[in-house]
Amino acid sequence: MQSLTFLENVKAYVGFDDASSALLLQAHPVVAPRFGPIVDDFYATIEAHAGARAAIKGGSAQIERLKGSLLRWIDEMFRGPHDEAYFQRRARIGHIHVKIDLPQVYMFTAMDRIRVQTQSVLRESTAFDADEAKRVATALDQILDIELAIMLETYREDLVAKNRTAERLATIGQLAAGIGHELRNPLGVVESSAFLVTRRLEQLQVSDPSVSRHMEKIAVEVQRSNKTISDLLELARSRPLSRRAVAARALLDAAVPAANLPAGVSVDVDAPAGLTLDCDPDQLTRVLTNLLINASQAMGGQGRIWIDARREGAVATLIVRDDGPGVPADVRPRIFEALFTTKAKGNGLGLALCRRIAEAHGGTVTLEDSERGAAFRVVIPDVGAAP
Amino acid sequence: MRVLVVDDNVSLAENLAELLELGGHSTSVATTGASALAEAVSNPPDVVVTDYRLPDMSGAVLLRSLRAAGVDAHAIVISAHTDEDTIAEARLTGATFVAKPVAPDALGRLIAGPR
Repeated sequence: MQSLTFLENVKAYVGFDDASSALLLQAHPVVAPRFGPIVDDFYATIEAHAGARAAIKGGSAQIERLKGSLLRWIDEMFRGPHDEAYFQRRARIGHIHVKIDLPQVYMFTAMDRIRVQTQSVLRESTAFDADEAKRVATALDQILDIELAIMLETYREDLVAKNRTAERLATIGQLAAGIGHELRNPLGVVESSAFLVTRRLEQLQVSDPSVSRHMEKIAVEVQRSNKTISDLLELARSRPLSRRAVAARALLDAAVPAANLPAGVSVDVDAPAGLTLDCDPDQLTRVLTNLLINASQAMGGQGRIWIDARREGAVATLIVRDDGPGVPADVRPRIFEALFTTKAKGNGLGLALCRRIAEAHGGTVTLEDSERGAAFRVVIPDVGAAP
Repeated sequence: MRVLVVDDNVSLAENLAELLELGGHSTSVATTGASALAEAVSNPPDVVVTDYRLPDMSGAVLLRSLRAAGVDAHAIVISAHTDEDTIAEARLTGATFVAKPVAPDALGRLIAGPR
């Protein structure tokens, strides 16, 4: 017997079936004229509560966008169909709640707002007879509980993924401190010996293309190993931020050459003059160089990268976009996990490190939905310095 | 300049010394704190380049012992341990702190740099 999907399971549990969906569809035209006021009430309540308001970092522009989303959300809840595609769309919203750090308590309180408002509209309506009205009210309660169940499930999934990363980081930390330091010295010997051999050959006026190529390979690979060790050590410790207001333009102009990209990769930087970032410049540069190196590698060392810096309310956003093949759907949920990599030469630390640094700033790094290439959005909120 | 290189990894100490010799410095090598002290007292160096974690003492203890023995050399501490405590402790002794890895061609500049 095929096991039930999450949605089938919760629907069966509360007794929500096709007849319930049909009742909600019938109720849609009754409640729809009041969607606007319900949505307004919903966000007015959030704005009145600091804990909930804190999750909305983009100010009134973001609230306007969110109102549109909530309107569609309620509309869809009444319209159905309440199938797997519906569940997938709802689950995406649940993931956003985790991403914006909305405390779980506000899922319940906010859902209660919607419940009270929609039920009150139904009670005032004369569209249904007493018996029908009861059944519509029950179906509405059930779907709202199903919505909560979906939110809790997605919240749990994200939390598990977050914990898995945290556990891995802790393990990496212990290993890294020991192994990283142990490897520094032998690598130092290899690097300096290669350097000394090269110098010696120069002195002896020996010029052999094959020898030069191998010496170059040794130097490049030692550098790569050193970078892995640095990434590990950086991940293993959480260095306190040294935050200050820095000019976005200057930071980006310095970060691009620091990434040491191949000649076939061009980078277009678009940052308005006067845009400042409230950040630890060294650590944010590390985020940017990691994203640039990733983009370059994804494009096989050939192509274009765009960096767009913008201010959106009390946050600064940096979008790093490339015209490479993009990130396959099946790996998207995992790319920020430590030690997860799809690259033959990747160490699986770069994006985990980016996320660690952004989160230390109270911000985020996310992979955007994009039609072409990959686009990463770095959000850095202002904390101290005025915008 | 006369440079004393101290590192318990013999190969690394020898390579550092050789790199410095390429830059025209004369060098000696020690692999423990005690042997470094003995060498410095009998042949006072201008510069001491030392690892921070030596088998018998820390770089900070070595540098303080050198001062106590009247060896007035500029000190450069090279370490893979870049935690704030290590860096602060090294700097307290008046040393320049340099994190590993040190690029081979950067070492000469460190020695030649302002004291």
